[in-house]
Amino acid sequence: MEEEKLIEEAKNGDRTALSQLVKRYEQTVYNFAFKVCRDKDKAENTMQETFLSMVKSLNQFSGKSKLSTWLYTVVSNHCLMQARSNARFKFASLDDEDTGINESEIVDWDIAPDKLTENEELKKHLDNAIQNLNPEYRIVFLLRDIEDLSTEETAKITGLSIAAVKSRLHRARAFLRNELNEYVKNERN
Amino acid sequence: MKETNKNCSDVINHICENLGEDNNSPNCIALKEHLNNCPNCQSYLKSLKLTINLYKNYNVKVTDSMHNKLVEILELTDCR
Repeated sequence: MEEEKLIEEAKNGDRTALSQLVKRYEQTVYNFAFKVCRDKDKAENTMQETFLSMVKSLNQFSGKSKLSTWLYTVVSNHCLMQARSNARFKFASLDDEDTGINESEIVDWDIAPDKLTENEELKKHLDNAIQNLNPEYRIVFLLRDIEDLSTEETAKITGLSIAAVKSRLHRARAFLRNELNEYVKNERN
Repeated sequence: MKETNKNCSDVINHICENLGEDNNSPNCIALKEHLNNCPNCQSYLKSLKLTINLYKNYNVKVTDSMHNKLVEILELTDCR
C-alpha cells in the first residue's frame, strides 16, 4: 500500500496500518540510530523512543515532507541530546581544523568494503573513528553520504544552512578518512 | 593562482565544497585536468570513497526479539 494512504489510515485509528508503518521503517530507524550512537542498546532504545513519538504525534504529521525525513529528525535529535548529556566525552574540534592534505601521508588504500563483515578489527577502527567525530558532524556525514539524502534534506533535518551542511560534510569526510588512514598505513607495514 | 595549477588541497576542498557545480565551468575543467595527472589526488579520492563505502557496508539488523519488544511497547501485538 502507498505510504500516504497508510499514514492517512493510521491517523484515522487503523492500528494495522500503524503496525505496517512501523514494520516498514524499523530497520531504517534502527540502522541509522546504531550508526549515530555506535551502541546496539542505545540504538534499540532510540528506535523505541522514535516510534513512540511517531505514534503519539502522527496526527500532527502534515505530509509536506516524507515520513522518513521526520523519523531521521527524531533519531538525530534524540542522539544529539544523549551526546550532549554525556559531557565527559570530549570530541575533536573540527571548527577551525585545517582539512588540508599532507601529501606525504597519502597511501594507496587496498580494502574491499564488501569483505567488511569478516574483518572485526577494521570494524573496531570504523567504530572508534566515528565515535571520535563530533556528533554534530557525524549526523551530517551519515545523512548525506550513508543515507544518501540531499543537501537540502540534510539541512532541514539538522536545522543547518546549506553552506554549513557542505562545510561539515567536507570536514567530517576528511576527519574519518584521516583517522582510518592510520589503520591502513599500519596494516601495510 | 592559475586555474590549471591547483595543488591537491585546493582540488579536494573545491570538490567537497562545490558539489553540484556545472561540470563545464572553468574550475571543474581545471580540476579534471589536475585529477587526471595527479596520482596523489587520485589516491586521496579513492580513500575518501572507500571511507564512505565502508560505513555504508557496516549495517545492523533488527532481530525478531527486538521487533517483538517494539511491537509490545507500542501495544500493537494484536496487529502482527
